[in-house]
Amino acid sequence: MKEVIELNINGDAHELLVAPNHTLLEVLRDQLGLMGTKRGCDLGACGACTVLINGEAYLSCIMLAMDAVGKEIITIEGLAEGGDLHPLQSAFINQGALQCGFCTPGMILTAEAILTEDEHPTEGMLKKKMAGNLCRCTGYKKIVEAVMSVCDNTGEEV
Amino acid sequence: MEKELNVVGTRVPMLDAAQKVKGTALFTDDLVLSGMLHGKVLRSPVPHAKILHIDTSRAEKLPGVKGVVSGRDIPDRMYGIVPMAKDEHALAREKVRYIGDDVAAVCAIDPEIAEEALGLITVDYEELPAVFDPLEAAKEGAPVIHEGVKNNTSFFIKKEFGDVEKALAECDDVFEHSFYSQAVNHAPLEPHAALAQYDPLNGQLTVWSSTQIPFFLRRNLSNTLQLAESKVRIIKPKVGGGFGQKIDMFAKDFCAAWFAIHLGKPVKFVYEREEIFISTRQRHPMYITVKTGVKKDGTILAQKFQAVADGGAYNSTAPTMIALSCFFLMIPYRVPNLIYEGSHVYTNKPVGGAMRGHGIPQARFAVERQLDIIADRIGVDPAEIRIKNSIHAGAPHPAGFVINTCGFSESVKKAADAIGWQEKRGKLPLGKGVGLAGASFPSGVSNMSHISSGAVVQLGRDGAVNVLTGAADIGQGAETVIGQIVAEELGVLIEDIRVTAADTGITPLDPGTFGSGVTVRAGNAARLAAISAKQKLFQFVAEKLEANAADLVAKDRQIFVKGSPDKGLTLAQALKGYQYADMPMPIVGRGSWMAPASEPTTLFKEDGNFAPNYSFMTQAAEVEVDLHTGRVKLLKMVTAHDCGRPINPMLVEGQLEGSVVGGMGQALYEDVIVEKGQVMNPSFLDYGFPTFLEMPEIEAIEVKTDDPIGPFGAKEAGEGTQLSPAPAIVNAVYDAIGIDFMELPITPEKILAALAEKKKKEDKVQSFSH
Amino acid sequence: MRLPKFDYLLPGSIAEAVAMLQDRPAAKILAGGTDLLVNMKHRVEMPPVLVNIKSISDLDYIHRDNGAVRIGALTPLKRISRAPFIAEKLPALARAASLVGSFHHQTMGTIAGNLCQQNRCKYYNQSQWWRSARPTCYKAGGEICHVVNKKETCYSSYCGDSAPALLVMNARVVLQGGGSSREIPLEELFSGDGKSPLNLRKGEILSEIIIPAETADGVSNYTKYANRESIDFPIVGAAFWASREKKEYRVAFTAVAKNPVRGRRLEAFLDGKDLSKASMAEASKLASKEAAPVKNSLFSPAHKREMMGILLQRAVNEATRRSCE
Repeated sequence: MKEVIELNINGDAHELLVAPNHTLLEVLRDQLGLMGTKRGCDLGACGACTVLINGEAYLSCIMLAMDAVGKEIITIEGLAEGGDLHPLQSAFINQGALQCGFCTPGMILTAEAILTEDEHPTEGMLKKKMAGNLCRCTGYKKIVEAVMSVCDNTGEEV
Repeated sequence: MEKELNVVGTRVPMLDAAQKVKGTALFTDDLVLSGMLHGKVLRSPVPHAKILHIDTSRAEKLPGVKGVVSGRDIPDRMYGIVPMAKDEHALAREKVRYIGDDVAAVCAIDPEIAEEALGLITVDYEELPAVFDPLEAAKEGAPVIHEGVKNNTSFFIKKEFGDVEKALAECDDVFEHSFYSQAVNHAPLEPHAALAQYDPLNGQLTVWSSTQIPFFLRRNLSNTLQLAESKVRIIKPKVGGGFGQKIDMFAKDFCAAWFAIHLGKPVKFVYEREEIFISTRQRHPMYITVKTGVKKDGTILAQKFQAVADGGAYNSTAPTMIALSCFFLMIPYRVPNLIYEGSHVYTNKPVGGAMRGHGIPQARFAVERQLDIIADRIGVDPAEIRIKNSIHAGAPHPAGFVINTCGFSESVKKAADAIGWQEKRGKLPLGKGVGLAGASFPSGVSNMSHISSGAVVQLGRDGAVNVLTGAADIGQGAETVIGQIVAEELGVLIEDIRVTAADTGITPLDPGTFGSGVTVRAGNAARLAAISAKQKLFQFVAEKLEANAADLVAKDRQIFVKGSPDKGLTLAQALKGYQYADMPMPIVGRGSWMAPASEPTTLFKEDGNFAPNYSFMTQAAEVEVDLHTGRVKLLKMVTAHDCGRPINPMLVEGQLEGSVVGGMGQALYEDVIVEKGQVMNPSFLDYGFPTFLEMPEIEAIEVKTDDPIGPFGAKEAGEGTQLSPAPAIVNAVYDAIGIDFMELPITPEKILAALAEKKKKEDKVQSFSH
Repeated sequence: MRLPKFDYLLPGSIAEAVAMLQDRPAAKILAGGTDLLVNMKHRVEMPPVLVNIKSISDLDYIHRDNGAVRIGALTPLKRISRAPFIAEKLPALARAASLVGSFHHQTMGTIAGNLCQQNRCKYYNQSQWWRSARPTCYKAGGEICHVVNKKETCYSSYCGDSAPALLVMNARVVLQGGGSSREIPLEELFSGDGKSPLNLRKGEILSEIIIPAETADGVSNYTKYANRESIDFPIVGAAFWASREKKEYRVAFTAVAKNPVRGRRLEAFLDGKDLSKASMAEASKLASKEAAPVKNSLFSPAHKREMMGILLQRAVNEATRRSCE
């Protein structure tokens, strides 16, 4: 039975008609047209569907939309302020930390979640926390370099 | 060749990088059209069976279902990416040949209903005996998978250069070994998808598809749907990785189109991850036997190579794959006498297709492993033996390849140095070792019927440059590289370039992304198109400046006389002047490029040069083997890489780094495990390709050569580097624990079993000596 | 892959949740969802009702209670892996929590969810279409077990990481049922039945995990052997606990049997001994006899048995080295 719920997405409140078996990923893409969150495997094993829930990294493909009520949801579309790019986004661009770009939104949001809880992770800790995000193109090296470069910029607000 | 370059050779970010990091880059599943319907494919749960009856009535009645289709409803037209190897229907007719074969499709108002409808289709199968091993399938009496294909061998190729038997007789040592290379799945992050729309008024079909081959897809859809090619338009959106798996038409393309035509609504199909593992393509498993004869000092005199490729249920790229596998045994080493025999055998299993390297990784693994074994047995250093046998630029080649530039020997030396070869090889404690392997790859294969690229460059009044190219960027940065080439040629900045690509309705022909041909072929076409546009503008400016067009230079948005930068115009002035002189705007340049060939040849019949140029590389690996768990950790991989002059060093590094991790996956982690024809691990969880935590240290060393054929001296950089990681790692494991592994992957279980076996033998020897 | 349809209930308290579960016997609890929702997409678990207990407040806590440690059922794994007290006093648990799945799974997943996870098998954890190549297996509602080709039996394995760590600490669990609550040793929660791995009465909810005071200051560790260092379930996991005062040891394994296994013979062997090279070598050999893994995964039973001993060695080495620092 569908229900009307309110989801707070990228700072805006949205009223949506949702069934219990709709995942947050499906609602974001199919109802809100927010296509930046990707479906890589639909079973929580690749991280391409990562969104931020109250600042933490969640797999939206194995999360019920109804479970996201009352939370602050940030998708990749909501990361940057206005017309500017988020420092992680700039770093990814300038350091070639993406190729096909499919895993990229998930990578950036996971990195953001990591930097939110720890502004200066070690490289080892960063890799461990990013290791739920799979990439088949880059070999990961430039992604690590891009995120570490953002951490190293003292005084940068991340 | 200009030495001072402004845009080519710089670390330009990908043109669409901002879209990708913002999440606004549109992949096929991100496209939404009004009234769009959703489709799903029903697949065979049995490996080999006759289809007796399909009952779709219950599915059709499910509210929300708009259409159901099966093999009996579609034209009897087979398709295949290689015209001579067409053996597949979009939906199975009469029989299914593997678990996962496409049987029927439904179309509904939402994916949930489509999924439910699949469960309501009943298929009556009459199971047939199935065969899962190519060696068994090739024997007399094996189940026949395709009518008329004897011994299930759809392609066989045999070729000899020189006189192998004679040469073997002259060798000091002859070695023969057998190898096995496993099924690997490309596992691109973006699932295969297609969105189709049909206009009944003009009969035009548009398909957006996650594909590497828009123009070939057009041809295949045209044939199977019986629509003229001019009525079929393929548009490639952003593609989230392919690695070869998206080189083909799939049921999703055909069925989306079919339903769009018959239902009058746009239709989208997106594959589940499981379908991608089972029902798209994979790297062919291969059984390989190599016999190599050498002189005492390690010089290769003769080689006999036999390969049996496990093709799975259909051909896909069969003849090309098996030919490539054999053909490129002639690089990077000089093999003056060579016989190769390759066969592609059907089995009732998932289908093999092009995968990064396309038949060559398997062959390279065998040859590089054996070369190490030979080096070890005859007492020559493995790095030395490779340098000794290296081909050289300009030297006559046994098969007639034209090698204009070759940095191979230098790459061996540099990789060996960087890994610390002298200090480490044979000298590290048990469990640690270094190994290396060499490789070479063609920048597109030039002699496979007609393979050319076209490009158009338009200069508008505002100084912005439009490039139309058919090149299919799948994340490797093809559009960026082409943009850089055009910007360099026109003397503009990269920001001035806009690339429109891979739309068969708008852009010129291009074969697509495979065989690492894009930079050279499409890049050269774009360069010629830019030059053609530039000439028109130069004619005009030359007159204005009372100079010779041949003396003009375009740089930094200026056009001036070489050596006199003050004697010139800005580009803006030149374009304004051009327009005001009533010259036709836009200024359009066009170009097309096909690799030079002395005579038309085909890959299967003739000798001759098969690629415009060849990349060369050596990879050196340092590994650590955990003697208790058998786990091999790749600590470091060095790649010394000759790709000519990289158009974009940052993108080249990206290719290399991705290749190394992919190659590591092939060596240590990945295997499509099949039990009685059923893939047991069709998920990202169970098919474990490397994560951040498996990353080795990666070092890239440039070996500069300047190729005369490649645009601005460039050669391929996408596939060669995935040929040598696996053998480099397995060679390093030999150094670490003294065991020769002859198959991939080398899993902890295999390592432990081999260590136990070795210990048993050593204990036996010890006990005898008492 | 879409989820099947279900009713979704939001209890405000444990009592309410219990009532809901008792009222709809086929209902299941939804906590983090990282295990259940995947199984539902595969259609091996199809509860008509999900009772979302995340809405119940006060189940996310780590309390110290006279030396004992009480952990609320819905405490996220991430929190457990980082709580300084747990890292210091219960390192096996911190370790295990930090090794479950990936960073995301540890954020979403709860300790009770990890404990109560469904058993696994290569024939079971597959999509509905995949499984249609064979008769439905016993665990998924059919008759036959494809691992042993016998009827009315299930050879799935328990593969949770936190269970062995909690077992070696003699953890107890509080189960709240209709109007009553009981406290049992964690070991008794696991039935050893592949089809129904947990001994829960109708409507019971695991609400708290207790680590007794006498355990909460031992030397402990958990080691995990998996294909990759992230995302994967263990091929084998081994937990170890040693008393600081006497030569008393506890050992447990996961992914080798239908339930997480205490290695009692091993413990009996080690009891009173020093953890010398010789005794550990012997222990390693005994370890592989503590379970008889079957061919229900992509990894061979022989390999699993061999790794039991290796992992135990490593767990001990790391634990004792850490305790010396």
